[in-house]
Amino acid sequence: MSTEPASETQWREPDPPGSGVIPCVEAPAIPRETQLELLQLGLLQRLTEDRAMLLYRQGRIPGSYYTGRGQEAVGAAAGLCLGPDDVVAPLNRELSCHFARGVTVADVFRNFLARATGPTRGRDGNMHFGMPARGVFPLVSMLGVLCPVSVGAALAFKRRGEPRVALTFWGDGAMCTGDVHEGMNLAGVLDVPAVFVIQNNQYAYSTPTGREMVNTNIAERIEGGWSIPCQRVDGTDAIAAYAAIGEAVRRARDGDGPHAVEAFSLRMHGHAAHDDASYVPSELLDHFANRRDPIKRLRKRLELDGVPQSELDELHARVSDEVAEGLAEAERAPPADPDTIQDGVYAMPPSHA
Amino acid sequence: MSEITYLEAIRAALEDAMHEDERVFMLGEDIGHFGGPFGATKGLAETFGTDRIIDTPISEEGFVGAALGAAWMGERPIVELQFADFISCAFDPIVSVGAKTHWRSGIRFPVVIRAPFGGGIRGGPFHASCPEGWFVGVAGLKVVAPGTVEDAYGLLRSSIDDDDPVIYFEHKGLYRRLKGSRPTPATRTPIGKARVVQAGSDATIVTYGAGVDLARTATAATNGNGSSVEVVDLRTLWPFDEEAVLSSIDKTSRVLVLQEAARSTGAAGVVMSLISQHAFELLDAPAKLHAPVDTPVPFAPELEDAYLPSVDSLTAALDDLLSY
Ligand SMILES: Cc1ncc(C[n+]2csc(CCOP(=O)(O)OP(=O)(O)O)c2C)c(N)n1
Repeated sequence: MSTEPASETQWREPDPPGSGVIPCVEAPAIPRETQLELLQLGLLQRLTEDRAMLLYRQGRIPGSYYTGRGQEAVGAAAGLCLGPDDVVAPLNRELSCHFARGVTVADVFRNFLARATGPTRGRDGNMHFGMPARGVFPLVSMLGVLCPVSVGAALAFKRRGEPRVALTFWGDGAMCTGDVHEGMNLAGVLDVPAVFVIQNNQYAYSTPTGREMVNTNIAERIEGGWSIPCQRVDGTDAIAAYAAIGEAVRRARDGDGPHAVEAFSLRMHGHAAHDDASYVPSELLDHFANRRDPIKRLRKRLELDGVPQSELDELHARVSDEVAEGLAEAERAPPADPDTIQDGVYAMPPSHA
Repeated sequence: MSEITYLEAIRAALEDAMHEDERVFMLGEDIGHFGGPFGATKGLAETFGTDRIIDTPISEEGFVGAALGAAWMGERPIVELQFADFISCAFDPIVSVGAKTHWRSGIRFPVVIRAPFGGGIRGGPFHASCPEGWFVGVAGLKVVAPGTVEDAYGLLRSSIDDDDPVIYFEHKGLYRRLKGSRPTPATRTPIGKARVVQAGSDATIVTYGAGVDLARTATAATNGNGSSVEVVDLRTLWPFDEEAVLSSIDKTSRVLVLQEAARSTGAAGVVMSLISQHAFELLDAPAKLHAPVDTPVPFAPELEDAYLPSVDSLTAALDDLLSY
C-alpha cells in the first residue's frame, strides 16, 4: 500500500516507506551553523505567522492575512544564499527570506498592525512590504510583474560589471502569467544575473497546478522553453533547497546568465486566513503535516546528525522569545497618521510655481 | 543657429543626456542600428554602443518592468514604445509598480517612457491613439506632452533628470512638421509648468501636444479680426499647472479646452473639473470642450479628417464661444 496520497502534481521521487517525518538530506558539506540558521529562519517565519494568525482572529490585524506554512524552507534557503549586496523580491510565502535579509520581527509586525513607523507606514498591509535599505523590494500584488523588475535590477548589475544577483520568487499560478514569460525571455536574451525560484505548492488559491498548465513539470518547461537551467528540488527540504538555490546564485553571479529552481511543496494552509482550503484533499494535507513539514524535517536531520535535543529546544525558545519581544515592540509603535497620506506620492513633487 | 525638427530635438535630448550621464540608457524594439520606426534613435547605437541602446524582444510589459528594476538600482533608463497605443501592454508595471512604489517604500524610479502618439498619419485604431487619459490622474505618475521643438527637447531633458516615472507623449504628426532652433544642452522645461504661448484677452484655449500648433494657426485669422485669444500650452498633463489655467481665465473669462484625445478621455476631464470648481464665477460663457467624438481613431482619410480637430472646426467652436 502506498503511503503517498494522490495529488494532481506528483513529486517525482516517491517517499521512503514508513509514516514518520522524513529527515532532510544529509549534507556534511553544508556547515552545521548554516543548517541551524536555516532552522532558526524557518521557525521565525512559522512562529511569527502563528502569532499573527491569532492576532488576525482577534481582529487586531486589519484586512487579510497570509502565511507560508509548509514553504518556510525555501525563503530561508534563498535568503541565506544571497550576499549582502544582492537584491530580492519576495512574495507572500517567503517571510523567512525577509528575516534572512535582517528585517526584524518588529518591522514585520509593524506592517501587519499598520503602524506609522512600519516599513510602509501603514500605506500597505500584510506581506506587502519590503525594506529597500536591505535590498528587499516591496511585494506588488499583480502576480508576475516582479519578474521583469528583477530582471531589470540584474541588468543594472551586468551593465556596471558588479558581481551581484537579483532573485525573485513566484508560484505555480503566477507561472501562467505573461510577465513571467516576458521576464524570463528577456533575462535570457540579455543574459543577466537573475535567479528565479518557483514555489510549486500545488495550488493557486483553489486551482490545482494540473488545471493551471498542461505540463506541470515547471523545471522541464523553463529549461526547454526559455533555455534557463532549472533544478527541481524538494521544497520541504531546507538543505536540498539551500544547495540548489546556492548553485543557481553562484552560477548567475559568475556570469553564467539567469538560473532557476523549482521548489516543490504544499501550501499547508488556506490561501489566506479566511480560507479553510476544503478543496485540498485532507489526506494530502495530513501527509505533508506528518511527513513533510519543513521545520520538522530539518530538526529531524539535525537530531540524526547528533545535535542535542536540548540545543534544538533552546533554539525554539529563543525564537519564541524573539517573536514575543518583536510583537511587544511593534505594539508600542504609533498608529498611522492621516496627516501624512500625501507624503511621498512623488520623489520630486512638481512645482507649479 | 541651425534649424532642427521636433524629432531631431528628441534625438538631440537623448544624445546630450547620454553624453552627460553614464546611467542613462535605452530599451526598446528596433531602436539599435535600425534607429526605431520613426528614426528617433538613428545613429545613437553607433555613438553609444548596443550596450546602451538595447534592442529588446516584443515585450512591453517585460522591458518597462525591467526599466523600473534597473532604475531601482540607480540607473536612469529611457524606454521607447513603437507607438503609444502599445502602452496598454505595459499598463501593469506602469500603474502597479511605477506609480505606487515610492509612496509605499521610498524607492525611486527615474524612468522615462517615450510614447509616440496622435493621428493625422492614417494610423487607424491601433497606431494613432492618444492614450494619455489612462494615466492623467494617477498619483505617482507624471505625464508630459511637448507641443513645440524647444519643449520636445526641454521636457525630455527634464523627464530624464526627474526621479519619478514620466510618460513622455511625443506627437508623431509634429515629428517633421515643426522646426525650430536647436536648444542648448542646458535647456530644461520645468515639469508641472504650463506656458502662455500666445497672449490674448477675449478667450483662453487650454491645450497640449498638436493642439498648440493648431490653436495658433486657427487664431492667427481670428486674432487679426479684432478678437484676441490666449493659448495656454499645458506641457505637463499630470500633475498639471492649475494656477496657469485659472489665471488665464481670470483675464479672459472664456475658455475652450482643445485636445486630440477623444472627448471623454485625455486631459480634458481634470481641466474641466478644475474649471467647474474654481472658475465658475470668472466665466462669461460655459467652458467649451473641443475634442473628437468617443470612438477609436478611424482610418479612412475622410473619417480621420472629420474626427480630428481642424482649423475650421476649431474656428467654428471659438466663434460659438466668443458670441455666447
Ligand atoms: C495577476 C493576478 N491575478 C490574480 C491575483 C489574485 N491572487 C492572489 S494570490 C493568487 C493565487 C496565486 O497562486 P500561486 O502563484 O501558485 O502562488 P501561491 O498563492 O500558491 O503561493 C491569486 C489568484 C493576483 N494577485 N495577481
